[in-house]
Amino acid sequence: MAEEQAESFLYKLEAVLEGGRLLTAVVLAKSDERAFITAENNILRHTVAPPVIKELSLVEKKPIGRQGVGYVIETSRFE
Amino acid sequence: MAERKQWKWADDPSLNKMELTKLEKDGLDVIETIVNTYSKEGFQSIESSDMDRFKWAGVYQQRPKDGHFMMRVRIPGGILNSEQARVLAKIAEDYGRDLVDVTTRQAVQFHWLTVESLADIFERLASVGLSSFEACGDCPRTIMGNPLAGIDPHEVLDTRPLVNQLEKFFLLNREFSNLPRKYKISISANIHNAAHAQINDLAFTPAKKTIEGEEVIGFHVWVGGGLSAKPHLAKKLDVFCRPEEVVKVAEGVTTLFRDFGYRQKRTHARLKFLVADWGAEKFKEELIHLVGELETQGEDLLKGWNGGYFYGIHEQQQKGLYYAGLSVPVGRMNAGELVELARLADEYGDGTIGTCNTQNVLIRNIPQDRVAAFQAEPIIVNRFKLKPNTFVGYAVSCTGTEYCNLAIVETKERMRSLALYLDDTVTLDTPLRIHMIGCPNSCGQRQIADIGLQGALVKTPAGMVEAFDIHVGGTLEEAQFNRKLNARITVDMLGPFLAQLITLYKEDRLDGEQYWRYVERVGLEKIQAQVDSILQTA
Ligand code: HEM
Ligand code: SF4
Repeated sequence: MAEEQAESFLYKLEAVLEGGRLLTAVVLAKSDERAFITAENNILRHTVAPPVIKELSLVEKKPIGRQGVGYVIETSRFE
Repeated sequence: MAERKQWKWADDPSLNKMELTKLEKDGLDVIETIVNTYSKEGFQSIESSDMDRFKWAGVYQQRPKDGHFMMRVRIPGGILNSEQARVLAKIAEDYGRDLVDVTTRQAVQFHWLTVESLADIFERLASVGLSSFEACGDCPRTIMGNPLAGIDPHEVLDTRPLVNQLEKFFLLNREFSNLPRKYKISISANIHNAAHAQINDLAFTPAKKTIEGEEVIGFHVWVGGGLSAKPHLAKKLDVFCRPEEVVKVAEGVTTLFRDFGYRQKRTHARLKFLVADWGAEKFKEELIHLVGELETQGEDLLKGWNGGYFYGIHEQQQKGLYYAGLSVPVGRMNAGELVELARLADEYGDGTIGTCNTQNVLIRNIPQDRVAAFQAEPIIVNRFKLKPNTFVGYAVSCTGTEYCNLAIVETKERMRSLALYLDDTVTLDTPLRIHMIGCPNSCGQRQIADIGLQGALVKTPAGMVEAFDIHVGGTLEEAQFNRKLNARITVDMLGPFLAQLITLYKEDRLDGEQYWRYVERVGLEKIQAQVDSILQTA
């Protein structure tokens, strides 16, 4: 069988919150539009007070046809 | 089907899934299946495990995945003849919706092919000695070279026979059809590094050495370069390679990659990771262990970097003969235009056409008394210009969302119109290389550009908007990759933003100073300050 048309991707998005805080979201979605919505929902769920997202950008997508697809995300250091 | 090989890594339990697929059936075996089965029974008959193997036939699914394929055709060393060009044009016309792309590794790329057409295309290619086989996949890809080989006043040796030997040795060679990952070779004796040595897995660059009182012209050998999301510059080995040793050394390096390259993770499988782990010294020792003693490094004959650009009419090595470097904006033409190029090559030159890694073309061997007529040809005046405007002439672009499944934004048409806008808005008398890519994989070689633009999507109140991250200061002259600025520019702003950034450089630079040199001199902080001030007033 040939591959399905509506393939899912693992998306990487970057958010800038008010106050300068940066978040990276990784979400599974079938389209770029869905990726934004899913990322926003996840960011909402992740924060206590609803954050003001100043900028949300989609920067990478990887097809999930193969095991092991993922991202490495640089985080702040705890010192 | 060919006999199965018993590879030494076959029983390694940590192999990734693609490795298991490759052990089950060699990538090259898919060619037979395509010809005998899939091209007769259609898209729906394709086994999903074979879809990955299609790459060994040089074909890849294009976006959206609705049954259309892109195909890459190998142009060894970037030289083809007019007969081959006509066959390529006819394929594009009959099956590829009239589209021909010249790629950043001198190959030719088609889109919109169906699986039904593939058997016929393979045959047509073979009839003129061309092939798409192993143009994609985990194997030796198109061998890059100097498209001026044999006529280049700036070369120390004619590399055409060597390109042919390498091509003959590797193409369809089942000893090397199962490498851990893609594998890119470049060979050039042009002293201006025409074939981008430092971003290939294996590269040969011109060198000389006095051996037993005799001066020998040969090569230095570089290993482990590559771009993609984790770019690395190749390392130069402490060896000198005589021309007659090129195939042996290439076989040795490729064997090391095949047998010691990493097969656990596809993201950690390119030769660059092995070279990074071993270091150049150990790599050299292992190579000598395989191929026997090699001379140590001689005198490096590389002098600077021409960026792979050859615009204009230039005298060849052969007095009285000229070559013409032509601009093909972002590498895209139609079948009729390729046929025109073939006609020009026949009528004015020796029937050969060069493809450049800058997505451009050139015509070779034009006698002096034909130059004026050549320059007056309508397609030269109006389309494939000898002296393109600065920005159109130095723009490179990957495929983008038009056909690529990994793309986040549109690129090719956008780069073309952006370059036109900049040419209308800013006058600049020196080249400024702008490369645009649609995702981090860097097919459009964003890292080596003066200004590299990488796509992203930004959410705005009006919906999703395409945007670009800005990277500055890339070059292979004193090789370094460009660096990212803190700026994500939406497409409506991209033209005006770049026009202002380039104008600031133009006013501030030393006489004729190239952009990457300017960035180097004034520092990234100053460029960031320029960016901030432009964005503030926007
Ligand atoms: C359907 C279209 C395409 C897809 C899906 C695709 C996919 C990719 C991927 C995944 C990589 C990263 C490979 C790695 O990690 O090593 C890559 C790299 C690259 N591709 Fe493409 N590509 C496409 C079209 C093109 C085109 C049109 C060109 C030439 C203009 C091109 C030239 C390259 C080059 C030069 C690299 C850099 C590899 C390196 O030096 O490491 N690709 N491509
Ligand atoms: S750089 Fe990304 S978007 Fe552009 S052709 Fe390559 S894989 Fe596709």
